[in-house]
Amino acid sequence: MAGGGGGFVEAEAIIARIETKSTKIESLLKQYKPVEALKTALEGSPPKTLDERCKSANWIVVHRALMAIKDIEGMLNALDVEYYDILMKYLYRGLSTGDRPTCDQCLKIHEKLTERAGLGCILRCLSDTLNTV
Amino acid sequence: MAVVDVHRFAESITCHAWSPDLSMVAFCPNNNEVHIYKSSSQDQWERLHVLEKHDQIVSGIDWSSNSNKIVTVSHDRNSYVWSLEGGEWVPTLVILRLNRAALCVQWSPKENKFAVGSGAKTVCICYYEQENNWWVSKLIRKRHESSVTSVAWHPNNILLATTCTDGKCRVFSTFIKGVDTKDPKAGSPAESKFGEQILQLDLSYSWAFGVKWSPSGNTLAYVGHSSMIYFVDDVGPSPLAQSVAFRDLPLRDVLFISEKMVIGVGYDSNPMVFAADDTGIWSFIRYIGEKKAASSGASYSSQFSEAFTKFYGQSKATTANEASESSKSRGGVHDNCINSIVPLSKAGSPKVMRFSTSGLDGKIAIWDLENMQEELGHQFY
Repeated sequence: MAGGGGGFVEAEAIIARIETKSTKIESLLKQYKPVEALKTALEGSPPKTLDERCKSANWIVVHRALMAIKDIEGMLNALDVEYYDILMKYLYRGLSTGDRPTCDQCLKIHEKLTERAGLGCILRCLSDTLNTV
Repeated sequence: MAVVDVHRFAESITCHAWSPDLSMVAFCPNNNEVHIYKSSSQDQWERLHVLEKHDQIVSGIDWSSNSNKIVTVSHDRNSYVWSLEGGEWVPTLVILRLNRAALCVQWSPKENKFAVGSGAKTVCICYYEQENNWWVSKLIRKRHESSVTSVAWHPNNILLATTCTDGKCRVFSTFIKGVDTKDPKAGSPAESKFGEQILQLDLSYSWAFGVKWSPSGNTLAYVGHSSMIYFVDDVGPSPLAQSVAFRDLPLRDVLFISEKMVIGVGYDSNPMVFAADDTGIWSFIRYIGEKKAASSGASYSSQFSEAFTKFYGQSKATTANEASESSKSRGGVHDNCINSIVPLSKAGSPKVMRFSTSGLDGKIAIWDLENMQEELGHQFY
């Protein structure tokens, strides 16, 4: 009972954090800074929880930032190397939605990201079944 | 390039091992036999023996350098120790007491024991009992949650590192009363209990393969199936672990060629060199045979253009040829996954100058690093 209660509070805390992230991202996008927005969205991902709602909430935020990106090369130049693996995981989540505009965008970014990060990045995304997004 | 000799022995090679004088090689051509070939002159190999006792594929072979014995393990859950008597190899069955396949084997540095990793989540440590004239198997049953893919002996003949498909690397003590002598300088009393787990490394989220100790026994290296290689310095109560992610396809096996340099082989069919710099940070240095950047870029884009055209429903006729060609022109010695790398030097020597690799393409390649010493840098000295 106590464990369940603790888990519930944790999820609420994570969702609250995601909401603050979301407002920050909206403001960055209004200032035409999509790269900054994506960086903010990817920070703290994946949420260290098994709760699907948290993961979905985080995905919505990342998706918003991803779709706003127009200059993919520039974005990848500005992104640190440690974010490549987590970005790749979100790209696959995007591709799994089947939604045409999302998939188009994700495919475009996927091609450029693979050129930079190599097949190892894809491997790490596929083989990590613990920290899913 | 560093390749000295390449020879295609069979359709596919599972594992191989060299004789003490490095003139003969024993390998399993992906069936239940072990073939022993001797090299007479440059690229002339003749088959001397065929060891046929196992019923299923032979998954591990090791050839001891001092006692000249071959140990083979197979998916048929058995192991044989072969001795050369009067020009013929005579097998002795070792009852491992396994109910699943044996996957890997290695002689201990003193060659009085050997370790077998199995799909039964156990490791068998076998030693020779003089009174009964047979090999006895002691099982480490605890701890492993899945198949044990690889085993490696520490130079002190007691510690054994194992990697498992549950992603963890563990170090056990295999002290056996009557076979091993207790070292008065030895660390904790835990080290003298058979099957006691000394250390468990939780670095990988995916299957772990190919564990090896450095020549001094201070450092461990093993690979994960997520294109990562893990280095652990100062193995003991407070180890220093590093995870190195690299660009390309995962590795299957590693080899320490000096205290600070490791060669990894795997699905890229090209050995990779990793080294630790002066501060102790490990990183990827280069491929052994330089892969031309142009060809690697071309192979990626042709594979992906095929995927993209599939996505948009266009015809694949033109791109299919590109994809198959690019996979062959990977510009290297091996055409397919390299699954084994074996040193061609005395066990326990601090530096390895020559090594051999075998893979799914059926080739065994011998590499010599004599001319590459400057290119590899001072970590190789």
